[in-house]
Amino acid sequence: MRQLSRRAALALGAGSAALTIVGWDEGALAAAKEAADEIAKFTGGKTAAKEKVSIELPEIAENGNTVPLALSIDAPMTADNYVSEVLVVAEGNPNPGVATFHFSPMSGKAEASTRIRLATTQNIVVVAKTSKGEFFSGQKLVKVTIGGCGG
Amino acid sequence: MAEKPRLKLPKEAKKGDVIEIKTLMPHIMESGQRKDKDGKTIPRKIINKFTAEFNGKPVFSANLDPAIAANPYLQFSAKVEESGTFKFTWTDDDGTVISAEEKITVS
Amino acid sequence: MTRAGMWAGSAAIALIVAGAFAVVAAGSRANAQANKREAPLETKDAASVQPWKRYAGWPARDESKYNTLGHLATAPAPTAPRPVGNQVIGDAANGGKLVADRNRGGSCLACHVMGQAGNADLPGNAAPDLSEIGNAGRTDEWLFNYVYDARVYNPETIMPPWGSHGFFTDPEINDIVAFLKTLKSPAVFKTALDDPNKRPAPVEKRDNLDAIENPAMWAVEKAQELWNLKSASGFSCNTCHSEPQATFKTWAASMPKWEPRLDKVLGVEEFVARHAKATTGAAWLMETDENRALSVYLHFLANGAPIAIDTSSAEAKAAIERGKVLSARKVGQLNMACTDCHGKAANHWIRGQWLGDPKGQYDHFPTWRTSLLAIWDIRQRFQWCQVNIRADELPPDAKEYGDLELYLAAQNEGLKLSVPGIRH
Repeated sequence: MRQLSRRAALALGAGSAALTIVGWDEGALAAAKEAADEIAKFTGGKTAAKEKVSIELPEIAENGNTVPLALSIDAPMTADNYVSEVLVVAEGNPNPGVATFHFSPMSGKAEASTRIRLATTQNIVVVAKTSKGEFFSGQKLVKVTIGGCGG
Repeated sequence: MAEKPRLKLPKEAKKGDVIEIKTLMPHIMESGQRKDKDGKTIPRKIINKFTAEFNGKPVFSANLDPAIAANPYLQFSAKVEESGTFKFTWTDDDGTVISAEEKITVS
Repeated sequence: MTRAGMWAGSAAIALIVAGAFAVVAAGSRANAQANKREAPLETKDAASVQPWKRYAGWPARDESKYNTLGHLATAPAPTAPRPVGNQVIGDAANGGKLVADRNRGGSCLACHVMGQAGNADLPGNAAPDLSEIGNAGRTDEWLFNYVYDARVYNPETIMPPWGSHGFFTDPEINDIVAFLKTLKSPAVFKTALDDPNKRPAPVEKRDNLDAIENPAMWAVEKAQELWNLKSASGFSCNTCHSEPQATFKTWAASMPKWEPRLDKVLGVEEFVARHAKATTGAAWLMETDENRALSVYLHFLANGAPIAIDTSSAEAKAAIERGKVLSARKVGQLNMACTDCHGKAANHWIRGQWLGDPKGQYDHFPTWRTSLLAIWDIRQRFQWCQVNIRADELPPDAKEYGDLELYLAAQNEGLKLSVPGIRH
C-alpha cells in the first residue's frame, strides 16, 4: 500500500476534506470513500474550511488498540455562536466512523479527548459544525507501528 | 465487567471557570470485528452513547462507534456558573444505562 | 425463660465474648508473629497450573528441536559455508517479498533497512543497513551462506540461522540473494519517522498511577478486597497483616529472593501463591487474576522504594551468575539470547519497536499492556519473549526464571518501583 508523505497528502486535500490519498490499493480506496461519504452526510455536501481544528495524535502509535486523540476547535462558544457537533472519522478503518461529539455553550471550550482503535496507518479526519452552519476540518496521519518479532 | 465508572473533576470552582472533566468507563467495547477460536464473529457490544448534564441541562455528549478503544475514556470541558450536580450516563448497546453523579461548589 | 435458661444464655454470651477476644488476641499475636518469623510457604505442590499449558491465543508451534532456558536441544552450528558457487539464480521480485514477510520469524526488515523493500515502512536498525549491499563486493556464495547460517562467518552473530533452522528453503534463499544483489542505492523514506536512524526513541510519559490513565489500577482495589476475603479457614491476609501500607513499604523492592526451603529464587508472584496456600489456604496460583492483582498491590505498596535485593549472600551470587549465563543462552528456532536484543542490539529498533537496556525494564512490573488489555507480570513477559523467538516457554515458577529474574533485578538496583506500569 503506497502512501503519500503527510505534506503531500495535506496539499492534495483542497476541496474535499477526506479523499486526500491517491494511488492506494482498492480496499484502502473504498474505506477512504466511505469516510468521504460520512463527511458529506455530516456537512450536507458543504465544503469545510481547513482551519481552526487542532488534532493531537501520536506520530507513531505503539499499537492500534488504544491511540490517544485530543481535538480542539478554535471557535467561540457563546449562546448565539458555538461549535455544536464534531465528527471524527478514520479513513483506513473497516468502518470509518469513530465518534460524534455534541457540544453546547455550557461546554466552555469545544475540545475533547478519547482513545481510539486504528486498524492500520491512516488519516484521521475531524470536521466541526457550528450553530451558524459553518464547517471546519483538519486531519492527521497516524502511523501504527509494526511489531519486530512477527507472528 | 461490573465495575464503576471513574470520574475526575474539581469539587470546587469559581463562577465562570471552565473546568476539565475526565471519565473512564470499564467496558470491553467489543467491536464486532473479532472472531472467536471457532471462526465465528463475536457480536458487537459497546457503549454507544455518553451524556453529561449539569443541573439537568446538557453540557456534552458523544455518540461512540466501535473504533473507540476498550475502557472508553472521555475528557471534555464545562463552564460552571453556579453550584450543582453533574450527571453522567453511559448507554450500552443492550440498552443498559449506567449513571454517576458528582457535586461541585461554585462560588 | 427459666432461670437455668438465663444462666445458660449469659454463659453463652460470655463464651462468645471471650471467643471474640481470643480471635482478636490471636490476630494481634499473629500480626506480631508475622513480623518476626519465617513466612509459611507451601513447599510440596507447584505454584502454577500443572501440567503447564501455553496461554490460549499464543502461537502454538513445535519447538522441541531447539534450546529453551530449561534444556538444550539445538543442533550445533555448521562448521563451514556451503559451497553454492557464484552464480546464484533467483527471483529478485519474490526475494523482495520474502525479506518483508513478517510471518517468517519477523522478516529481515525487523533489523535491516533494505532499500525500498516493504515500502521502507518502519524498518529496524538492529543490524547494518543493506540498501547498498549489491555494490559491496560480496560474492553470491557469501550472501547465500550469510542468510543460510551467518554463524559460519561470525560465531557471535545475532542473525537467526534462516536456512539451517528451516525458515527459508534453498530456492527462497536464492531469491533473497537475487534481491540483495539489486540493492544499490540508499533507502528513500516517506517520512522521517520511517528512518530508524532518525526516529526518536519512545519516552513513556503517561501517568501510570492515575486510575483514569491506567486500567491496571483497578487491580489495586481488587487486591484490597482479596486481602480482606476470608477463606474457608476463616482467615484472610488481614488476619496477620492488618496494616499492609505500613508493613510492606519496601518488601517488594527486596524481591526476588533466594528461598532455601525450595532451593530456588522466589519472585513476588510465586511467594504469594505459596504463602497464601500455607496460611489462609487460598489457592492463588501464578498467572491467575488474583495472583496478579496481589502482585500489583504488593509492588504498589512499595512504590518509590529503590530496588534493593540481596546480591551478597553466596546463594544470591550463585543465582545471579546462573541468571547471567541463562541470559546469554541462544534459544528457539530464531536462536536468540536475551543479550542479543537487550545487550548487543539495545537502543535500536526492531521494525517499529524499541529495544531497551535491561536497566529500566523491571521497575514497572507488573504492568498494564495496552495492546492486550491485560496485566502482565515479569514471568509472563519472559514467557512471551521465549515464544516470540520460537522457543518453548517454561512454567512461570521455573527455577531458571527465578535466576533470570534475580539477575535482571540486580541490574535494576537503585531504580524506584512504580507499579502498575503502563506499556504497549
